[in-house]
Amino acid sequence: MLEFSKMDTISVKNLVKTYQVFKKEPGILGTFKSLVSRKYEKVKAVDDISFSIKEGELVGFIGPNGAGKTTTLKCLSGLLYPTSGEISVLNFKPWQRKRQFLTNISFVMGQKNQLWWDLPAIETFLLNKEIFEINDSQFKKTLGELVDLLDAKDILNIQVKRLSLGQRMKCELIAALIHLPKVLFLDEPTIGLDVVMQEKLREFVKSYNKNFHSTIILTSHYMEDVQNLAKRVIVINFGKIVFDGLLTELVKKKAPYKLISFMERNKDNFVKIKKLGKIIEQDFPKLTIRVSSKDSNRIASQILDNFTVEDLTIEEADIAEIIREVFEKSKK
Amino acid sequence: MKKYWQIAKITFSETTAYRLNFVMWRVRVVLQLLTIYFLWQAILPRGAKILNYDHSQILTYILGTSLIWSFVMASRSQSIADEINSGSLSNFLIKPINYFSYHFFRDIGDKAMNILFTAVELTLMYFILKPPIFIQTDPTYLALALISIFAALCLHFFINFILGTIGFISPEIWAPRFIFFIVIGFFAGSYFPLDILPANIFAIFKFLPFTYLLYFPLKVYLGQLPLEETIVGIFTTFIWTAVFALIANLAWRKGLKLYTSWGK
Repeated sequence: MLEFSKMDTISVKNLVKTYQVFKKEPGILGTFKSLVSRKYEKVKAVDDISFSIKEGELVGFIGPNGAGKTTTLKCLSGLLYPTSGEISVLNFKPWQRKRQFLTNISFVMGQKNQLWWDLPAIETFLLNKEIFEINDSQFKKTLGELVDLLDAKDILNIQVKRLSLGQRMKCELIAALIHLPKVLFLDEPTIGLDVVMQEKLREFVKSYNKNFHSTIILTSHYMEDVQNLAKRVIVINFGKIVFDGLLTELVKKKAPYKLISFMERNKDNFVKIKKLGKIIEQDFPKLTIRVSSKDSNRIASQILDNFTVEDLTIEEADIAEIIREVFEKSKK
Repeated sequence: MKKYWQIAKITFSETTAYRLNFVMWRVRVVLQLLTIYFLWQAILPRGAKILNYDHSQILTYILGTSLIWSFVMASRSQSIADEINSGSLSNFLIKPINYFSYHFFRDIGDKAMNILFTAVELTLMYFILKPPIFIQTDPTYLALALISIFAALCLHFFINFILGTIGFISPEIWAPRFIFFIVIGFFAGSYFPLDILPANIFAIFKFLPFTYLLYFPLKVYLGQLPLEETIVGIFTTFIWTAVFALIANLAWRKGLKLYTSWGK
């Protein structure tokens, strides 16, 4: 086996990916016009991004729809040729799609399945066993472990199309991980799943990362996914990296404030208190104000000393809220 | 290699995933053969020679082309364009698997099932109807016929693959496929035996690849070609196969650069 531990598992330098799309004017006239002459436009899906990821890291990739997350993952997994820039994954150039590279990666797309629709999932696993040339005992061992982790024993022999979305996602994950990839790309794995299943999947990804020491990049719309799983996040918008660092750093940097919530039953006091911070929510007698992080303790004790408030709590700012602000600010 | 047999096997079992669907497939195949059989049985004058073919030969030709058509042309690889356009091609690209071989062995699995059942059905029909068709008994001709059918199958596979790669540049490939099948039907001899054409036109046809999809394997089966011509024909088929394989490979490489993995 190759040894990568000293180097970055994934490194991306000045990656650019442009798509060519053609623009059509609306209406019948536009339809005929587009038949004769087409206006093509180049759209930069990924615009000069660079980052690197070490072995065993679990990184969250976040950004609104169309930010370039999936395009980046597709470039990293070798599905797309980069327009320019350099990519190295496990010391391979992904687009060459070398055997050694392909046997060590996996890409789970939440909205696309690889399972054979009309057959039980176990058939796909067996096919993947042959494709990745896994020997019998290793296959049995891995399958057993994955099935245990996902609690999927009873669904392996059921025709895939009869499975629920959650069950199918479990099987998708088994199919994607049966060869124990060193690098795993998860593109919105929790999409469409209920809260319980989301939680289970998060647990699974966490333990897979830990048990097999694999490098994982995860994209998700659900902040909870990222919050629970990734220490490091890369925020991307309009094809550019807006932030790359620890989630806690992001909070500190982008949201140096906390939320103080309490009940104040005295109407006069209620009005006075409001002046201490920015009002986030007010529904008499409940009030939530926003104050800067470093002043939070001082203001909280000030409130407790001077007013007759109940149920006072100090909370970190909501991650989703922060991210939204980051996106708003990075708009062109 | 084992992986590709697994693909053939899993395709084989996939064809029987829906029992009703499977039964209807077989009923369709049998009905089609029976319809053609009874129609031509009624039309063809007994005893008389038409187009230089006697009654049983022309009947064999017509039934034979329909049968070979169902082996050679019926193909899973029609889904290539769909896979490109729906983006499910991505599932193959991220695996250490050859996409050509994947589809080839999928075809093998599918055809194995088709041939297995057709053999049973044909035997049954033969004993029930006792049709006046020509049964080749010379093992040399039988073997050569099998080889030429296999060659035709390979040739068709690559032609079909090239048509599939149109999916890289256009989301709609129904039109080229339709045109192709009309043309192929004519040039391959599914409408009439090609040797009834004027000699000089037929000579041109012999250089085209399509002749070798239907007409040629059947002529070999009927034992109507001299051995020398048969060998040359089989070689021609393989040369055309190599040419189309090369083009398919080129189209595939070019296409991958255009591939955008749309469709989420």
